[in-house]
Amino acid sequence: MAALFSGAPPQGGPGYSFKQTPTMAPSGERQHGFYPYTDNGGSTLGISGADFTIMAGDTRSTSGYNINTRYAPKLFKIGGEGPDNKGARIVLSVVGFAADGDALKERLDTIVKMYKYQHGKPMSVSACAQRLSHVLYNKRFFPYYVHAILGGIDEDGKGALYSYDPVGSYEREQCRAAGAAASLIMPFLDNQVNFKNQYEPGSGTGHDLQAKVAQPLPRDTVESIVRDAFTSAVERHIEVGDGLQMMIITPNGVEETFTPLKRD
Amino acid sequence: MDSLVAQYSRPMHAEEGQTYEDQQELSQMTPELSLKFALPPVASSASWLRAMTDDYSNPNCPIKIAHGTTTLAFRFKGGIIVATDSRATAGNWIASQTVKKVIEINNCLLGTMAGGAADCQYWLAFLGMQCRLHELRHKRRISVAAASKILANLVYSYKGMGLSMGTMCAGVTPQEGPALYYIDSDGTRLAGNLFCVGSGQTFAYGVLDASYKYDLSDEEALELGRRSILAATHRDAYSGGFINLYHVKEDGWVKHGFSDTNPIFWKTKLEKGEFSNVTADLV
Amino acid sequence: MIPPPDGGACVAMVGKDCVAIACDLRLGMQALTVSNNFPKIFSYGDVHLGLTGLATDVSTVSDLFRYKVNMYRLREERNISPQTMANLVSSSLYERRFGPYFVSPVIAGINQTSGKPFICGFDSIGCIDFAKDFIVSGTASDQLFGTCEGLWEPDLVSCACSGDMG
Repeated sequence: MAALFSGAPPQGGPGYSFKQTPTMAPSGERQHGFYPYTDNGGSTLGISGADFTIMAGDTRSTSGYNINTRYAPKLFKIGGEGPDNKGARIVLSVVGFAADGDALKERLDTIVKMYKYQHGKPMSVSACAQRLSHVLYNKRFFPYYVHAILGGIDEDGKGALYSYDPVGSYEREQCRAAGAAASLIMPFLDNQVNFKNQYEPGSGTGHDLQAKVAQPLPRDTVESIVRDAFTSAVERHIEVGDGLQMMIITPNGVEETFTPLKRD
Repeated sequence: MDSLVAQYSRPMHAEEGQTYEDQQELSQMTPELSLKFALPPVASSASWLRAMTDDYSNPNCPIKIAHGTTTLAFRFKGGIIVATDSRATAGNWIASQTVKKVIEINNCLLGTMAGGAADCQYWLAFLGMQCRLHELRHKRRISVAAASKILANLVYSYKGMGLSMGTMCAGVTPQEGPALYYIDSDGTRLAGNLFCVGSGQTFAYGVLDASYKYDLSDEEALELGRRSILAATHRDAYSGGFINLYHVKEDGWVKHGFSDTNPIFWKTKLEKGEFSNVTADLV
Repeated sequence: MIPPPDGGACVAMVGKDCVAIACDLRLGMQALTVSNNFPKIFSYGDVHLGLTGLATDVSTVSDLFRYKVNMYRLREERNISPQTMANLVSSSLYERRFGPYFVSPVIAGINQTSGKPFICGFDSIGCIDFAKDFIVSGTASDQLFGTCEGLWEPDLVSCACSGDMG
């Protein structure tokens, strides 16, 4: 009975409009000589608070079981002045294929800088977020192999965080983990940041339990959640480790910190 | 021989860096929503894209694009109800539980999102732009028929390239009244009273068909939309999260909440006695 | 070829003088939810066995161990201890080395002789993982690993162990 459904698209969902019909399972899978992607592993995460956004990423870069380097940043400042992005208020994190991530960062950085030259004011995060979506979608048929997260401060001075899929669908969120250890970190964040599956103590038993309501967390709490998330991920994922790079975006600027992680 | 010489006698660094055109393109800021797409340097880009991104035929594909959905819309005497779930999945991974699958094209046109999230977001934004341009050019609002046809023609021109979308356009205009169209990435465009789209469509149709009639009151219609999505989120693993409810009326659409399915489910079960297949006992 | 597992997850955890074991109740075939009440934890006296994987093997293996544990009790005139159960599960699974049951079992219990909590997990051919903190298994094991690694600490008391993290 189970075989009835395996391999086939979920019933009735909109199919793909490819010319060939889907071949069922990988029997005699077609190989393409053109494989331009490498998975460089690693993980990133972002959490937005009332007046700040924290972006974090480990600094290991892998291919297969090899470690390319123990310090390859996944966090990039976007906009600001000059090659050091002085005065930038937007941070992009990319995880997946590092070369695509780098190309994407260069593109977005150019766009944000050009925007300032042409309009005489810095680009807002919401505008930058939408533009990033379009940059990603412009390669819909030859995608950037990256999961991007964009963080900044919105027009009301609140923390803003946007997450993307490889072809540019995006959404504003409170928190998001991406990359190799996303499946380990994301449920932890759901529980600790959005208080999913947490209930008010003493509010009853069984169906009477009142769910705990999420509210913006203070900065030191968020920082310790980020550290816990990464030290946990390092324990259980081979592609995560070496160093933790954090960027804390506040209305006053971007603070950058680096903490060592286990290097085994 | 001359051609060979010509081929290899270029200055050493001629192809490095960006070309003049590339620089122009960057500095002149191409329009945000453009129709120029990068293509991979292979003969059959569609089958290459399929090998890279289609997790139905190849569960180990490197790039997993978010999809999986239940969306529905139906026409009734009080206008149109549009309801969706809010889950996005990439394989078995729940990529998000808070996706806004109803896209507000303008204050009386709504689009729904099923299939590739990016495809729907991008092309419905593009449609929004075209609708606004139509308004400015013709000094009146675009009809739903015309808007849906812009989208249908657009996706048809990309047929075979791997777009994946199943969308509904719902709107009310003075010339048409309430109008509902279904458009998908094959190029299909259908007008109708009632559509469900996505992996949970069968479950939604089951509930919707059972109690649908054109003469529903506003409250009954909203409740039916909500209940149909709830049924789909219950049985279809690729649907869930929140229920997004909209009511389209003559003077524009009204949002009726983005509400968590879990409390609604238990309310429906414990107060109305439905879903008796689920045990409410703790042990 | 390995058949696709029917969805399901199980977690066992050690706390202060206690253990907790939990599972979900869903039985599905890919997207379709077939049953909402399919328990994956089976109790044999002092020992609790969680089974995730192929649903048909979950039923078969749980029945097999009910038989084996009952036979043990008749022969020995005492309940089976968690440690003995772990070795029984391991050897029984390895008997099927070249045609395994598609399950990944989890054991949780308190040893009535020593009073100490005990948990362990297995792969589908019986390799035992004696963990001191927690064991996870099933289709959501990545997610459970992340959550447990982030939230677990030594000597959790029984309400924190079963409530907060369940």
